[in-house]
Amino acid sequence: MTESITGSVLITVLFSIRSSAQILSPSRVKISVVIHFHFTPTLCPITAHLPSMAESSKKRRRTNTDDLPFKNKLKPDSTILQTLKDFSTSSSSSSSSSKTLTLQDLSLPFSCREVSDLSLSSVQSNIESLVLRIAHSILSGNGFAFDVPSRAATNQFYVPELDRIVLKDKSSLRPFANISTVRKSAITARILQLVHQLCIKGIHVTKRDLFYTDVKLFQDQIQSDTVLDDVSCMLGCTRSSLNVVAAEKGVVVGRLIFSDNGDMIDCTKMGMGGKAIPPNIDRVGDMQSDALFILLVEKDAAYMRLAEDRFYNRFPCIIVTAKGQPDVATRLFLKKMKMELNLPVLALVDSDPYGLKILSVYGCGSKNMSYDSANLTTPDIKWLGVRPSDLDKYKIPEQCRLPMTEQDIKTGKDMLEEDFVKKNPGWVEELTLMVKTKQKAEIQALSTFGFQYLSEVYLPLKLQQKDWL
Amino acid sequence: MDSSESPTETKKTKSKTPRKNKETVLKQKSPAEFFAENKNIAGFDNPGKSLYTTVRELVENSLDSAESISELPVVEITIEEIKKSKFNSMIGLIDCERVDAELYDDYETEKAREKRLAKEARAQEIQAKNAALGKKVKETPASKGIRGRGEASFYRVICKDNGKGMPHDDIPNMFGRVLSGTKYGLKQTRGKFGLGAKMALIWSKMSTGLPIEISSSMRNQSYMSFCRLDIDIHKNIPHVHVNEKRENKERWHGAEIQVVIEGNWTTYRSKILHYMRQMAVITPYAQFLFKFVSDAPEKNVTIRFSRRTDVMPPVPLETKHHPSSVDLLLIKRLIAETSKQNLLQFLQHEFVNISKSHAERLIGEMGPDFSPKMALKSLTPQQLVRIHQLFRQAKFDDPNGHCLSPAGEYNLRLGIIKELHPDMVATYSGSAQVFEGHPFIVEAGVSIGGKNVKQGLNIFRFANRIPLLFEQGADVVTRTALKRINWSSYKINQLQDKIGIFVSIVSTKIPFKGTGKEYIGDDITEIASAVKYSIQQCCVQLKSKIVKKMQAREQQERKRNLSKYIPDATGAVYNVLKDMAETQLHASKKFRYGDDDGELLRKVYENLITKETLSEKLAKHVEQVDYEMALEYATQSGVSEEPRETIYIKPLETENKIIDLHSPFFVFRMFH
Repeated sequence: MTESITGSVLITVLFSIRSSAQILSPSRVKISVVIHFHFTPTLCPITAHLPSMAESSKKRRRTNTDDLPFKNKLKPDSTILQTLKDFSTSSSSSSSSSKTLTLQDLSLPFSCREVSDLSLSSVQSNIESLVLRIAHSILSGNGFAFDVPSRAATNQFYVPELDRIVLKDKSSLRPFANISTVRKSAITARILQLVHQLCIKGIHVTKRDLFYTDVKLFQDQIQSDTVLDDVSCMLGCTRSSLNVVAAEKGVVVGRLIFSDNGDMIDCTKMGMGGKAIPPNIDRVGDMQSDALFILLVEKDAAYMRLAEDRFYNRFPCIIVTAKGQPDVATRLFLKKMKMELNLPVLALVDSDPYGLKILSVYGCGSKNMSYDSANLTTPDIKWLGVRPSDLDKYKIPEQCRLPMTEQDIKTGKDMLEEDFVKKNPGWVEELTLMVKTKQKAEIQALSTFGFQYLSEVYLPLKLQQKDWL
Repeated sequence: MDSSESPTETKKTKSKTPRKNKETVLKQKSPAEFFAENKNIAGFDNPGKSLYTTVRELVENSLDSAESISELPVVEITIEEIKKSKFNSMIGLIDCERVDAELYDDYETEKAREKRLAKEARAQEIQAKNAALGKKVKETPASKGIRGRGEASFYRVICKDNGKGMPHDDIPNMFGRVLSGTKYGLKQTRGKFGLGAKMALIWSKMSTGLPIEISSSMRNQSYMSFCRLDIDIHKNIPHVHVNEKRENKERWHGAEIQVVIEGNWTTYRSKILHYMRQMAVITPYAQFLFKFVSDAPEKNVTIRFSRRTDVMPPVPLETKHHPSSVDLLLIKRLIAETSKQNLLQFLQHEFVNISKSHAERLIGEMGPDFSPKMALKSLTPQQLVRIHQLFRQAKFDDPNGHCLSPAGEYNLRLGIIKELHPDMVATYSGSAQVFEGHPFIVEAGVSIGGKNVKQGLNIFRFANRIPLLFEQGADVVTRTALKRINWSSYKINQLQDKIGIFVSIVSTKIPFKGTGKEYIGDDITEIASAVKYSIQQCCVQLKSKIVKKMQAREQQERKRNLSKYIPDATGAVYNVLKDMAETQLHASKKFRYGDDDGELLRKVYENLITKETLSEKLAKHVEQVDYEMALEYATQSGVSEEPRETIYIKPLETENKIIDLHSPFFVFRMFH
């Protein structure tokens, strides 16, 4: 613990020389800090040519980046920090005051299917009673069939009050003695058996592991994955309760300390790559943070830029990315952070329909996993950037913008019809602008003004202006 | 280097310039000279292609000739390889041994030889290694002797048909004068410019210097003409060596043409064979015999494409021009050639789709200077321009397709079946449409499966019943088949199925792109949409067949497919039951489950119920379901099947027992 704190203080103090923003309480400053106070001013001129040292490169960067466009609009970091603090407290107070709604609170005209976390033993007994029913059915000569909830788009419904997609209770029969469903029902039986084994042994496996237990039957992983979702939907439990997890995909870095399987992790001390988000959320706990917001990043490249520049030390935050479409673990982690730390979530995604789609998956859930949307969605995510209106606002040159393809435009128009977009007039406006100009841009388009433009100018300015929707 | 070279350079140019000035005299070129210099226009780009084009031109001439007298064509083509020594002896040149080896291009220097030997040794090593590893070794072709520039190969091409033949006195002009022909005029023809046979002659003159030999006889002609001639390229006139009448014992009619040219069989072998095969597809009423003869017997090829039908498409009619397709020059020519005296008659008779009343209205529209009875010869150039303008702007009915002679759906279908033996075939013949005043008809065929057909799309293109083999990529048919047809919606797998696509376009003027007349551009929307529609129509026909086939296959395989998964399903269920039974025993929680369930688990534990029991029961269920489904299918398909043809079988004994049931209105006769 001690070590981790000194490490973060070291850099923070360097920042504070520049920005005179004291983030951590003075009581936590230890002797090592004093030493650095002595050393850094004298060392700087000498070590300036050593790129490996963060301090030196930071110095040099600062002198070079003064002429970046819009740089002059930036107020001192202390002012921005104050804005953020106000925002953070106001949002936390507002969200804590309003009680989170559940499906039961609303009287919807139709019944919905929702799953919950179940204990291993109840999953096991659910499977067992299902299997017993099937065995009886087979023995009486009637074959067997599964009653699988439909996860088709027609069975999905967006509930504006909850701001997420829920699954209606339509289901379809999956009989064994039918040419079109025989394969699926055989796979379903096999997956049930495998999950049953996991329950007995009490271990976790990945989806890939599961696939490899019977490659010949499953043929490819998509099939076993789909059926796995069907099974969790059928048993009425979350996918994590089946003890099957996806491989680690998401990463987190920044001002966050949490325990992973009993080990304390300090996310400021995880190097440039950050900490991989653990696939089973139940072993994560004890979250602590002094961050003011959570920054959701679509892409690995932008995440790396921010991590390397230690953006979270300049503006205390937690940076998360799932490298594209978010997996279950990242969504669960984000939800947990939001719930426990009560921080506002800001999203930095590409300025294209898919960026907004990714945002919507974090916010309202995916159609594929809508049965578990209650656990997976994080409400009230703000769209920070890169928004279509930013392209002109920040004068991003033409050669960095891409023309949208027919497919892009179609996706964009389809999204304008989606309820989760329509509920936010600001988003509708931005998306309409995108479809109208037929231009898209990635986060990396900002690199046209220099690789560090994102962390040095764009994000600070955005935060200063509270420019999110 | 530079400084030493530049003075010589300038010297050279200096010495050249005055000579050049002297030569700027106005020179004229004969058509023959022009084509000799630009032989690629006519498809004589290189020796290989020249061989191909020669074969092609001769075959097409033969077909045209036979069709013009409504005779079912029989065409024999022979390509005879002539070795260099044989060729030399033919022209009376004595073989010369090389004395100064270094003089030649293919002389192998010491260094090059070392390199080659090292390479060969390496190749052998690899081969030995592969052989040791038991890999199947591709037989490396015996290292070819390096072929120098001078090492040309020569071929005698002989084409014999049963066509019309040629009048004895016209033969020299028909072969020895470029741009003279019998196929000019507005009609659907294979050839167009009267170039083919003459170009072969020019090419033979350029490459071998040997003359062309023609034997010909017309119907009911007692003699046979034999003519040996070559062409005077500078004057574009024939140079006749022999032109004599010989005996014609067999009463044969037709033509036999022999020409010796430089060529390249090895590289164009497949193209020539493809051409013959595709020609056989589009002309199933013709019989072709193709032979390749050489000194090496293993290289010899003999293919007979036999006749499959006696139905020949009608001879294409010569038609008149459509007003929207003529230009100013053509109007002038028509006026000069017509027998009509006044404007009204001219409009009415020299163009299609202008009736008398229509012509009168048109003349009224031309202006006050024009009158129906005005003499054609009195028209001023300005007035001609006015007529032309009106033709451009006025609306005319589209020309009908009567003048066209498409292969016909029947023939196309037969051709495809004959040459490809596909599993399924569908054909479609579109109605006539118009592009720039010229009518065209698109016919299409789509086949699935067959022998010698590659997986994926195999495209066969025909224009005016000639196969097009080159420049496939840019062609309208290729583009349409690749980009605009959604094969999967017709249950056809674009990559795995063996799909044959046959599109034949006939027109009085095919809008070829490029000089080689090898493809039709993709930019003509009329043709592109007609092609797309025709292919789609074929696909629609195929789809119903394919779906039926799939259903039938599903019927056959249903039980097998269902049974396949029985072990998986029962295994999974049984394993869970077994685990449950064991844990239940150890935990001795006997009353965790209901009576039925407890009983079941006990039986599992005591091996009274095993995996096999479950499998057996499930298999029985599958069998029952399969039986029900089969019954259902039989009742359904029985209704939807096409009406069956009734067959009457004669009884073996002629004697019949008959009972007649008489009523006031009818007689009911019963056979026993």
